[in-house]
Amino acid sequence: MAEIESPAARGDVHAGVLVLGAGPGGYTAAFRAADLGQSVVLADQRPALGGVCLNVGCIPSKALLHAARVIAETREMAAHGIRFGDPDIDLDALRGWKDGVVSRLTGGLAGLARQRKVATLRGTGRFVSANLAEVTAADGGVTTVSFDRAIIAAGSSAVRLPFMPNDDRRVLDSTGALDLASVPRRLLVIGGGIIGLEMATVYHELGARVTVVELMDQLIPGADRDIVAPLAKHIKARYENIYLTTKVTGAEAGAGTGTGTGKHADKDAGGLRVSFDGPGAPDHDVFDQVLVAVGRVPNGRLVGAENAGVLVDDRGYIPVDKQQRTNVAHIFAIGDVVGPPMLAHKATHEGRVAAEVAAGQRSYFDARVIPSVAYTDPEVAWAGVTETEARAAGVPYGKGVFPWAASGRALSLGRDEGMTKLLFDPASKRLIGAGLVGPNAGELVAETAHAIEMGADAADIALTIHPHPTLSETVGLSAEAFEGTITDLYLPKRK
Amino acid sequence: MTTEVQVPDIGAFDDVPIIEVHVKAGDRVNEEDPLITLESDKATMDVPAPVAGQVAEIAVKIGDRVSTGSLILTIDPGDGAVEAPPTLVEQQEPEVPAEAGGPDGSHGSVMANGDKVAVGATGSTGAEGIAGSKWAAGAEGIAGAVGAAGAKEVIEMAGPATDFTGVHAGPSVRRTARELGVDLTAVTGSGPKGRITKDDLLAHLRGPSPAGPASPPVVGPAAGTGIPEIPAQDFAQFGPVETRPLSRIRKLSGPHLHRSWLNVPHVTHHDEADITLLDPYRRELDAAARPDGYRVTLLAFLLKASVSGLKRFPEFNSSLSPEKDSLIVKGYYHLGVAVDTPEGLVVPVIRDVDRKGIIELSQELSAVSGRARDGKLTVTDLQGGTFTISSLGGIGGVAFTPIVNAPEVAILGVVRSAMKPVWNGTEFTPRLMLPLSLSYDHRVIDGALAARFVTYLSDVLEDPRRLIL
Repeated sequence: MAEIESPAARGDVHAGVLVLGAGPGGYTAAFRAADLGQSVVLADQRPALGGVCLNVGCIPSKALLHAARVIAETREMAAHGIRFGDPDIDLDALRGWKDGVVSRLTGGLAGLARQRKVATLRGTGRFVSANLAEVTAADGGVTTVSFDRAIIAAGSSAVRLPFMPNDDRRVLDSTGALDLASVPRRLLVIGGGIIGLEMATVYHELGARVTVVELMDQLIPGADRDIVAPLAKHIKARYENIYLTTKVTGAEAGAGTGTGTGKHADKDAGGLRVSFDGPGAPDHDVFDQVLVAVGRVPNGRLVGAENAGVLVDDRGYIPVDKQQRTNVAHIFAIGDVVGPPMLAHKATHEGRVAAEVAAGQRSYFDARVIPSVAYTDPEVAWAGVTETEARAAGVPYGKGVFPWAASGRALSLGRDEGMTKLLFDPASKRLIGAGLVGPNAGELVAETAHAIEMGADAADIALTIHPHPTLSETVGLSAEAFEGTITDLYLPKRK
Repeated sequence: MTTEVQVPDIGAFDDVPIIEVHVKAGDRVNEEDPLITLESDKATMDVPAPVAGQVAEIAVKIGDRVSTGSLILTIDPGDGAVEAPPTLVEQQEPEVPAEAGGPDGSHGSVMANGDKVAVGATGSTGAEGIAGSKWAAGAEGIAGAVGAAGAKEVIEMAGPATDFTGVHAGPSVRRTARELGVDLTAVTGSGPKGRITKDDLLAHLRGPSPAGPASPPVVGPAAGTGIPEIPAQDFAQFGPVETRPLSRIRKLSGPHLHRSWLNVPHVTHHDEADITLLDPYRRELDAAARPDGYRVTLLAFLLKASVSGLKRFPEFNSSLSPEKDSLIVKGYYHLGVAVDTPEGLVVPVIRDVDRKGIIELSQELSAVSGRARDGKLTVTDLQGGTFTISSLGGIGGVAFTPIVNAPEVAILGVVRSAMKPVWNGTEFTPRLMLPLSLSYDHRVIDGALAARFVTYLSDVLEDPRRLIL
């Protein structure tokens, strides 16, 4: 498959830069390194480039979330004079569209790789030594790759719960949930984080009755409570149950085998009996499917790092410096495998840094903030310091809040539960954090991340003219609220 | 078994920064291969390998400050290590666009090869210590188990890079700072609300003059003149263009010239000296010198004449005090001579010109200009000047305005001499006239004094016998 040949190389092929893993971080690193004149070999076990994100993560989930959004909006409009019939959902067609979106993107990546003469190798990559790796294809064929520099972009895997009957096809991880084999009547989502709630959003709109169980005392534990509250309220009214501070203590398969197919496979196959331990939760309940979304673990132990002398910590992360170097100078690591947050946009930036350093440039990962987005309904997004973190760390902050109930744009969307909250350094008045909830919050957070990177202060944001009527205005208006200059709200004088 | 390589005698300079490290542990080097590059004032100096062998351990990194005797690295002259096969990257290296490329290949290779760039730009010392404790120990254990190939590659992880958290600078400025190795926490921002701009970075890089702690910090008007930048233009829209990187010397001399030009209120005084008598004497000496491999040029006479003038008018051999409230008059006569090299202009300094004769000066000029053209000048060659001569003699021209080589206060420019009709009171006689252009710092020297100085120079040059007075 790879076209690179070097008679002097020790491996079957030789790479100036070998990249293990073709997710967003890996392919970005590979492409950047190629653009900087390196000979690059990119190895990944999947048939298509793009890793989890493009194939079984961010992208397919966004396609399904869009479908869910359309269903929700048409239903919401019924109250405002536009009535459609109940949706007729063709699961195969929906899945086909989703897969089409994925293959269009991954096909584009393959083209980008070809244009850059990045050699791609399909198989699982493992280090043999500090300058040699082997890539084992699905058919067992081994290609050895010698390299001058390597970038580990091995990503992460979904955590499995040991007590779950994991071989039962009614027990899903996010990948399985995105396969959309069937829509269960009752779905249990274990884990009230971003991934669990996004899949809950999809399955809820497709007709499943959803229960969410979360160990912590709030949904999306990384975000501020007040930002999550509108989402919690929204879904509490729509989902079957939300159990917080609740542990799943066991699960056992019911009568069926879970091997049926088709729309009502789960019905025929019986249920999964899941037991809980928590206030408000029943002792046990029976579900047709269970989605386990309790987190992801880094794949640091899966690449034979020890053979190359690369340190892997006890949680499976590979420690790196700000240039993405591991303890072995010519081996870099990026993305999920180096530590949280496990986000594609973090990985791509780290990938660029690693590629640039590998090519001799003095690049550093100096980003101040890595925004997070939950594409739930409503969306939740935040960047920089959260109020919870600021309080815990004793960081002084001032706050500017704008409730979307006062936003004409939000009301005209039929939604009033949103909120924009900006946190400022009280001395310099610079923006240090932002939290948003509401439709399209994920798009709005970009402005706040930019403002933080640029060192913008409240006046900079307030004096930037935001177009009216948009949701983006709420960012400017929150800054005005902090400054005490807002006229769209009446706030009592502070002093 | 291993040879320790130390910083050789670089003259009376301490704390000279390392601007490049050309090798990494495990590299094979030949005798005389450059190992590191030091920089001080306008000179860069490579430290060559004293022996051939394999680099065992590197004790320094870019940005470290070293002095004569500092340990640079150890070389293992033995032949035990396995040589890695040539790689595609190595074969391709010449094609890699080198950031600091240009005619000087050695700089390019550093930028093109990641391993040659030091890890972590922070802290002049202590990186070893930090690395040693946490990383190296564990790595060694693992590496030991997997054999020598792995162990060889295990390096110490540098200490944490300077954290730019809290620095008021945008992402592009932070990246530029990383590229240039600038610690942003030490840069003062001139933008709104103390924001650090790209110009602040560059000003910080030019920084206080590298002459050492004795020199005043440059925070004067030149640091931030407030002069608007010349707007960037896309020249390519008007026709084909080619971007050529400036040579290292030009990059260094540019800011120095700019600083001098902006800080010193310049006046240039023009005159002519009659060298009709001097010229045959010079030719005679030159003819005698040629078999010995050097030339006697007018420059040696100009040096002698200038020293004579400097002694008579000590203001010209002075500098303004940092506070600008007094004049520091120097009791030594070290004269800079501007030398044109393929890489740009350099100004080596001829020391104690007052104690040397024409022959000795001529020999020294030959040697030093040769070294300058070969890029072999040392830091010592470039420091301590009190007055500068810039001669375009061989080329042509009528007059020009040399830029004072601050903190000196005057510079003498000369162009080609020409035979001219001169009125001697009764008739025009053909005389060989040498144009002199003296630029001076008007804060120190007035026009009348300058006129007297140049007149005196002319008198001395007119009658070579005066040179020995």
